[in-house]
Amino acid sequence: MNPTRREFLWTAGTAAAALAASQAPGIHWTTEQEEEAGWEPGIEERQSSACLVCPARCGIRGRTVDGRLVSVTGNPLHPMSRGGLCPRGVGGVQMLYHPQRIAAPMLRVGARGAGEWRSISPEEAVGLLTTRLGALRAAGRPERLAVVAGYCAGSMDELWRRFLHAFGSPNYVADDYPDGTDSVMALVHGIPRRPGYDLERARLVLSFGAPLFEAWWSPVQAYVAFGRGAQGERARGRFIQVDTRFSRTAARAHEWLGVQPGTHGVLALGLAYVLIKEQAFNADFVARHVSGFEDDVDAAGRPREGYRSLVLRSYRTEEVSAITGVPVERIVALARAFANGPGAVAVCGADVLHAPDGLLSGLAVHSLNVLVGNIGRPGGVMFADDPPLASFAQVRLDPAARAGNARPPVAAVERPALFGTGDRVARFAAAVAHATASPVDALLLYYSNPLASDPHPEDWRAALARISFVVTFSPFLDETASLADLVIPDLMPYERWQDAPTPASYPYPVWGLAQPLVAPPPRALHTAAAILAVARGLGGSVAQSLPYQDFPALLQARARGLFSARRGMTLGDEFESIHYRQMEERGWWLAQETDFDAFWKDLVERGGWADLLYDGTDPTRLARTASGRIELLPDALRRALDAEGRKRQPYAALRDTSPTAGTLAFPLRLMPYRVSTLASGTLSLEPWLAEQPALFPDVHWVPWVEVHPATAQGLGLGDGTEVWVVAPRGRYRARLRVFPGAALGQVNAPYGLKQPDGALANPLQLLDGTTDPLTGLPAWFSTFVRLERAS
Amino acid sequence: MTRWGMVIDLDRCTGCGACEVACKSENNIATVTPEQADMGRAFAWMRVMTEVTGEFPNISMRFMPRPCMHCDNPPCVQVCPVGATYINPEGIVGQIYPRCIGCRYCANACPYTVKYFNWFAPRWPAAERAHLNPDVFVRPKGVIEKCTFCHHRLQRAREDARAQNRDLREEDYQPACAEICPTGAIVFGDLENPRHQVHGLKVDARAMRLMEDLGTEPKVYYLVPKA
Amino acid sequence: MRDDVAAKLARLPPDEQTLLRPLVHTTSRFYMAAGVLALVVLWGMTAYYLQVRYGLGRTGLNRPEYWGIYIIDFVFFIGISHAGTLISAILRVSKAEWRRSITRSAEFITVLVLGFGAINPIIDLGRPDRLLNVLFHAHLRSPLLWDVMSIGLYFTASTIYLYIPMIPDLAIVRDAGIKAPWFYRLLAAGYQDTPQQRARLERVIGVLAIMVIPIAISVHTIIGWIFAMTLRPMWHSTIFGPYFVIGAIFSGIAAILIAMVVLRRAYGLGNYFRPIHFDYMGRLLLVFSLLWFYFTFAEYLTAFYGKEPAEMRTFWAKVAGPFAVPFWLMVVCCFVIPVALMCRRAMRTPRGTLIAGIAVVIGMWLERFNIVVPTSVNPRWEMESLGHYHYAPSWVELSILGGTLAGFILLYMVATKFFPIVSIWEMKEGREESVHTVAARVASYLPEPTAPAAGD
Ligand SMILES: Nc1nc2c(c(=O)[nH]1)N[C@H]1C(S)=C(S)[C@@H](COP(=O)(O)OP(=O)(O)OC[C@H]3O[C@@H](n4cnc5c(=O)[nH]c(N)nc54)[C@H](O)[C@@H]3O)O[C@H]1N2
Ligand SMILES: Nc1nc2c(c(=O)[nH]1)N[C@H]1C(S)=C(S)[C@@H](COP(=O)(O)OP(=O)(O)OC[C@H]3O[C@@H](n4cnc5c(=O)[nH]c(N)nc54)[C@H](O)[C@@H]3O)O[C@H]1N2
Ligand code: SF4
Ligand code: SF4
Ligand code: SF4
Ligand code: SF4
Ligand code: SF4
Ligand SMILES: [Mo]
Repeated sequence: MNPTRREFLWTAGTAAAALAASQAPGIHWTTEQEEEAGWEPGIEERQSSACLVCPARCGIRGRTVDGRLVSVTGNPLHPMSRGGLCPRGVGGVQMLYHPQRIAAPMLRVGARGAGEWRSISPEEAVGLLTTRLGALRAAGRPERLAVVAGYCAGSMDELWRRFLHAFGSPNYVADDYPDGTDSVMALVHGIPRRPGYDLERARLVLSFGAPLFEAWWSPVQAYVAFGRGAQGERARGRFIQVDTRFSRTAARAHEWLGVQPGTHGVLALGLAYVLIKEQAFNADFVARHVSGFEDDVDAAGRPREGYRSLVLRSYRTEEVSAITGVPVERIVALARAFANGPGAVAVCGADVLHAPDGLLSGLAVHSLNVLVGNIGRPGGVMFADDPPLASFAQVRLDPAARAGNARPPVAAVERPALFGTGDRVARFAAAVAHATASPVDALLLYYSNPLASDPHPEDWRAALARISFVVTFSPFLDETASLADLVIPDLMPYERWQDAPTPASYPYPVWGLAQPLVAPPPRALHTAAAILAVARGLGGSVAQSLPYQDFPALLQARARGLFSARRGMTLGDEFESIHYRQMEERGWWLAQETDFDAFWKDLVERGGWADLLYDGTDPTRLARTASGRIELLPDALRRALDAEGRKRQPYAALRDTSPTAGTLAFPLRLMPYRVSTLASGTLSLEPWLAEQPALFPDVHWVPWVEVHPATAQGLGLGDGTEVWVVAPRGRYRARLRVFPGAALGQVNAPYGLKQPDGALANPLQLLDGTTDPLTGLPAWFSTFVRLERAS
Repeated sequence: MTRWGMVIDLDRCTGCGACEVACKSENNIATVTPEQADMGRAFAWMRVMTEVTGEFPNISMRFMPRPCMHCDNPPCVQVCPVGATYINPEGIVGQIYPRCIGCRYCANACPYTVKYFNWFAPRWPAAERAHLNPDVFVRPKGVIEKCTFCHHRLQRAREDARAQNRDLREEDYQPACAEICPTGAIVFGDLENPRHQVHGLKVDARAMRLMEDLGTEPKVYYLVPKA
Repeated sequence: MRDDVAAKLARLPPDEQTLLRPLVHTTSRFYMAAGVLALVVLWGMTAYYLQVRYGLGRTGLNRPEYWGIYIIDFVFFIGISHAGTLISAILRVSKAEWRRSITRSAEFITVLVLGFGAINPIIDLGRPDRLLNVLFHAHLRSPLLWDVMSIGLYFTASTIYLYIPMIPDLAIVRDAGIKAPWFYRLLAAGYQDTPQQRARLERVIGVLAIMVIPIAISVHTIIGWIFAMTLRPMWHSTIFGPYFVIGAIFSGIAAILIAMVVLRRAYGLGNYFRPIHFDYMGRLLLVFSLLWFYFTFAEYLTAFYGKEPAEMRTFWAKVAGPFAVPFWLMVVCCFVIPVALMCRRAMRTPRGTLIAGIAVVIGMWLERFNIVVPTSVNPRWEMESLGHYHYAPSWVELSILGGTLAGFILLYMVATKFFPIVSIWEMKEGREESVHTVAARVASYLPEPTAPAAGD
């Protein structure tokens, strides 16, 4: 009883023709109309590319029909994502065709923020930019140009740096999204980069607050590891989540340990205690590679306690249990499971570091990996090296540039945090806002929307007011862009070339390549192209420093490095990859492609390059410290703590910090967390995701907060009430959701959501400003709020 | 005799929801306005169901992706007065949109509540129409719709196989949700074909079907999580 | 009233005078009432237009609450329709002489309300434009189709069953020549009330009366089955067929009672709707109230005793959950009030029965609500029943509900203007013959008075 032919034609017809109809929040909607008009299939293509929706950079395949991007699926050849994607990536098509996307440069005509714009040609836009910047150089003040860039790993980041350097400004403020783990690694291993985790081959993954299945650095890496593992079904690792919140990750992990806020480090050391007591740690590894474990004497001959003594003295299981709230037997069982054989890895979540004692906690968590010697081993912590790309052309500096580069950067701080850059973006804004005269005349914003995303929007508002020329490359009229003077909309991800290296969390170097899947709007301009054009326009040393006619050319030039590196391969299926790895292990390497053009062609077709061989025997991958050993008690840290005056000892200090508590006025602890559907900090969600931003609770389109039933009852607030989340610093509106998974007296506040009318709901802008003095990172979980019914 | 079916391993599923969105993207599923969504009129042919038991800190949550079960003995098909919902010889339960009179009897008859009704004509933000999938009908106002096992992909795969005159391979026909699932939790294939994974999985010790006691004979199997 | 007509009317025998008067004389109150009702109908139609134009989204329906007011009304109206035909048929077959004055008004209810019952499922369609697919692509497996057939049949049958017994009266109107002669000449179909015509008429009526009973029963049985054939908790029940029939007759009787009281007041028919009628009808109402309770109790006890989780979710939703109010209100209206009133002779008066009747009509509407909605919002699968599903009818639905109700009353009023609402000839027949035949019949029930046999 299949459809009759008429029925078929009729319905096919409805796949065409639309007609304008009812409007919904901010968006213009269309309604399907029935129509007899038939529809005939178009020309279909499938191409590899990379997902640029979030920093994880999975491999994708795009399906286009008649030049429209119809769907995005995973690229099976990509070693990290293996053909899988997360919801955000799949919904990317809706990002591309986002109703609010800007397709052509816009020049402000009315007063700032009045929203009056004149649409101009790309050439005109570039011309404007060139003259403005040229003037700065002519005036000998190139440093008065500043660039604030959001997440842009790969060559874009490099391009900006080079451009500014050649231009002569030290004011490149890249938000590299510091999460503090790089500081920990710098201290312990002398390797200043985020650790990679070989989750796929791990036997036990012990995650401290890392939202592996939500918005981790690479959620798909975690999904693949959880679902498939490297050896398939037989050896799938066990996932244990240590988290204050009953997060979605906690919900799905094989085990969840709820801990008191900010006590992750204490729990970690509690585990270390058991390992040491039971001689279950890897004594041999510690002896050969680690220093700071045993007691010793300092330069002045004074005896110093080592890691062992500190832990044994301060972290008896009962005490740890009391502090963290984890039962003794679970601590012991967990420690034994962790020590029982190789392949147990402790993952340190960004949020462990976003606490007043962040750095020390991070140190404590990572020390577990050191104790079991699971560094550079299969299923352990690894430090991927960067893909062997050919470096950029030499930067040429003319006197003006030299002078400018020599001047102090705006965001420089008098007392810098010793072990981290802190929040540079915020600092930049504060500096501009409070300086006697604005040190900046021209500001370029790339992938950055500080007005919505920065914890201190007021600073940014003040700063922007003092900067005479503000340009953004955002393809959306986001909060910051609407206060800009010039908008030169970037191409959207599926329209542009870009290299897409995997995030540090993935332990192997992978150079994904995003190629255009659809033609961009005629008057939009790739930001890279804009930079190159401006450089050309400025001429002289700036132009000579960036001798690339366009971005693809630049990428090709860099890819030559991969071609001649005699290692790795263009992405291949699992058999190819394994085969290659085995060859490389035996010291062989056979070229797949004879000449570069063939190599590039493969690179584009397959979606990138990867080197899946990790040489764990290389000592420089264990430690690049002065001592050449892994430092459990880095001197720098000891000194820093002593400098603080109040005699604190690296590990012992953690247990003394008394947990912050609420007040009468603000009794509830604010628990910001990133919804897994969030693709960018502040970009409103793709309709499919906005409609169902989380599996649970059941909310649509609006920001919400989750509280425990008892808490809600105590407040006399029912499920679904509209509430104000009120903190000393400010408030925002959200829908209250009663969720038994929320801890008593806490407010789980997803961030990155907006009201349908665009009103922000950003818990991070309520943060009380507490920071970890050692890293300068804001503490995300020490703010207290109250909830008020919004009438 | 081919019988298409699906096995979902709940031990692998992380509840990420990629399958949901992949389904929406593949099948031109419309978005509804906030008010409509709050009324319970949002569409999700594939929906990751959640169940929370207990209270913090003794709490657990389970996820269960739920497409149409493509029952071999489908109550929905029984009750349709005009045969607008039908089961084809290979066990795929489909909808004939232009025939449906919108009585919603099938929706009431479906024990798994997987049927969705077009209360209004479907809507998209104007710009978003560009990504409509031309292989899939856009449903008009007033008819019922639901998961079709991405039937259009089977038709495609058949044509291609015929063009290259070879048999249909397991990988030729994979629905969007199975294709995207990053954990490989969704396995799809011919339940009767020993060379397809589902054939073995459906008799796995962990295999079960929803409300088997109803005798609806679902062709979607679940592998319960390992203890 | 034109006086020539008045003169003609005056010349008629008393029965005909009173019973034909409404046909030629209309009060201003009638026009006012009719006007108001017409407006309500118009309002309802506008609401429906909007629904057709923009889609069923204009209702309060949602997922999984797929069925609401319209389906409730459908069941409700069809239930009411069991008033006339079924009751009058049963009374005729059982030779209940007291029926004579009430059958006609009852049968009219059936024919008129049936239409309104039947359009509700069409109003409920997402695609009314495709209604005919039900014929083009008929799938006999579907209870919905069984229903289409049985309702069609029932409608035809009851129309005939209304028309045939009316022929003699139409002839009377024709001969009285007080109104649209051509119209009544046409309808009277040359009936001259000759003995053989009368005999044939009686025979046909007898046959029809027997035929319509199973048809009527089938109709509501099948409506019950529409629900029962699904696997939904508290729908999937074997007694739904009979349960629905009982409920239908129950609400039907209530409707007749209301009609009787109103007609009695409006057209001063006190002489025809006598206390005895209200007494007997009251007893009937009592009986069915008890029957209804019996079925309801049986139904809920079975569900409760089985403790099947899915069933229990719906059960508690009704008994002590979000639907407790409509549920207990239903019990009061369908059981407590009618039983309390009708069990006392003193209350089986026009006023008493009116109160009881209204209570029952409301109660039976609620009963349908309690069947349709609570089950809908409590799907069988526990993972679906997040408990936050809800249903609030939109103004469109309520307007259409008002419109259909008003439409029915309006048509009924109009009907009384064209047809004698009490069967004239059956009254006559009652007076002239039944009195004797009944006496004879009763006598025939009794033993012969025989003299005691002499013997020693
Ligand atoms: N999809 C997606 N992923 C992204 C990004 C993106 O834009 N989209 N952005 C990337 C960027 S910029 C960043 S900075 C990272 C942010 O990634 P994270 O820093 O991991 O931020 P959240 O996801 O908010 O994780 C916060 C977690 O900490 C837990 N937590 C709550 N209270 C406490 C506490 O008191 N102590 C500790 N230790 N933990 C607590 C919360 O339960 C929550 O699960 O995400 C990266 N990943
Ligand atoms: N509300 C909210 N605030 C946050 C966060 C959050 O998740 N939500 N996260 C916090 C964290 S951890 C961080 S790291 C910061 C990050 O905050 P930012 O560094 O400001 O990054 P986003 O907020 O993601 O803003 C990215 C902006 O880039 C623009 N954009 C989108 N696509 C493209 C593109 O293809 N090309 C270009 N040139 N521009 C594009 C969009 O307009 C978007 O507003 O925000 C912090 N604050
Ligand atoms: S994790 Fe990020 S990169 Fe990967 S698919 Fe999702 S959004 Fe795209
Ligand atoms: S995509 Fe796979 S893992 Fe994600 S929710 Fe669906 S089934 Fe589960
Ligand atoms: S799951 Fe529901 S809709 Fe799907 S076949 Fe079974 S009964 Fe029909
Ligand atoms: S809604 Fe459509 S498919 Fe469902 S039963 Fe009615 S006609 Fe058939
Ligand atoms: S099989 Fe196709 S239609 Fe069904 S849920 Fe999966 S993607 Fe959607
Ligand atoms: Mo970040």
